[in-house]
Amino acid sequence: MIGEEFESVLAAAQDGSEVAFSRLWRDGNPALLRYLRVIAPEAAEDVAADAWLQVVRGLAGFRGDEQGWRAWLFTTARRRAIDEARRRSRRPEKALEETLPGRLPVAPDAADLALEHIGTRSAMSLVARLPPHQAEVILLRVVAGLDNETVARLLGRSPGAVRVAAHRGLRAMAGILAETDVTL
Amino acid sequence: MPNFLWPDHRDVPTIGDTSLAALLAGTELPPGSAPELRPLAEALAELRGQPATDELEGEAGTLAAFRNQFGAPRIAHRRPARTQPPRRRLLPVKAAAAAAALLSLGGIATAAYAGALPAPVQRLAHDIIGAPPPGRQPAPTPSSARSVTTGDPAYGLCTAWAHAKVHGTRRQRAVAFSRLAAVAGGAGKVTAYCATAAPPGVSPSQAPQPSPAPRGTGRPSLLPAPHASGKPSGLPSPHSTGAPSVRPTPRDTGKPSGLPTPSQTSARSQDQTAR
Repeated sequence: MIGEEFESVLAAAQDGSEVAFSRLWRDGNPALLRYLRVIAPEAAEDVAADAWLQVVRGLAGFRGDEQGWRAWLFTTARRRAIDEARRRSRRPEKALEETLPGRLPVAPDAADLALEHIGTRSAMSLVARLPPHQAEVILLRVVAGLDNETVARLLGRSPGAVRVAAHRGLRAMAGILAETDVTL
Repeated sequence: MPNFLWPDHRDVPTIGDTSLAALLAGTELPPGSAPELRPLAEALAELRGQPATDELEGEAGTLAAFRNQFGAPRIAHRRPARTQPPRRRLLPVKAAAAAAALLSLGGIATAAYAGALPAPVQRLAHDIIGAPPPGRQPAPTPSSARSVTTGDPAYGLCTAWAHAKVHGTRRQRAVAFSRLAAVAGGAGKVTAYCATAAPPGVSPSQAPQPSPAPRGTGRPSLLPAPHASGKPSGLPSPHSTGAPSVRPTPRDTGKPSGLPTPSQTSARSQDQTAR
């Protein structure tokens, strides 16, 4: 998250400053990829790039604070992920569910990863073992940094349902950690 | 809803509200929370970890799109509809700047000194580089006896000729010289005529007439600025002519501020029916 300076960074980016936009990108893209690598593992990079293109197109008209910005970015990416899953699937109505976690190739290939990031990938595989809805809620809350109400709006669910999903997801994660004795 | 019941994970303690909030926000777990929550807090911290190198790849592509969208200067995203009145006010300024730029090129300067440009441009040339102002009367009949009061046209034509000799094309040299010779009373009298030429302003009433000349139809659209060439509806900036890259109203494109968007909503119902 950018924090206090967000407003001025956004304004500069909307005024055409590449440096400012780059800051938005570097702040948002890692979180976006972590989210997408769990909910759309086969197309995460493509979906992220598509989402950014769309954000660039609408950037001048965007109004909002950093929560709103993140919400917009992740909403855009989520929509693209759903489109992409639909495109890849013969049964569009099941596309999202099928691409969602459970059997994800997020498992770290240690040779490709800097040591300090193995922990991040392991944690992502852990989230990926949750039921899809719980995994998505956890990612949007923890990785995207969105508050409960924003996640509820984004997912089209009630704030209460989102809170329950977060709670269950965290307990499930704790359970997996206890069972497998994983040390990240 | 009894979210404290989760039989699948019998070893996992209940997560209280404050612990839940702390875990989700990434803040310190409250004192007294179950030790089993520590590994979970660490896993969540990893989820928020510093960006990896591969998470910062691909910036170039997005930046290229950004550059394309916001393009040259900062006018790109402003709304065309409302720029109409300011544009009119801007036009003379831009035209003057463009004319000045162009006039600094030898050939046009020659035409300007020869009084051969369309009236608006000629006026600019007069203001900027001291070329003769545009006149409304037909040129006075060349007289062999030039009086002192003809200093202004003489100066302009002589300067044009001097300029054309150095910088002009053959045609421009010919035009400048023939006009000068006509005023001076013959090709042989040019040097003597110019020796006594006074700088402009000495007798403005004697301005020479801008003739339709080498290049000219006399249309004001000879102005070099791109938007003067007949695109009244275009944005003032050059890239506005590349229509597809500039969205006229950004609101049309995305719905940045509204959260649950139509396709979002449909996705949601998909999601629900899939369960």
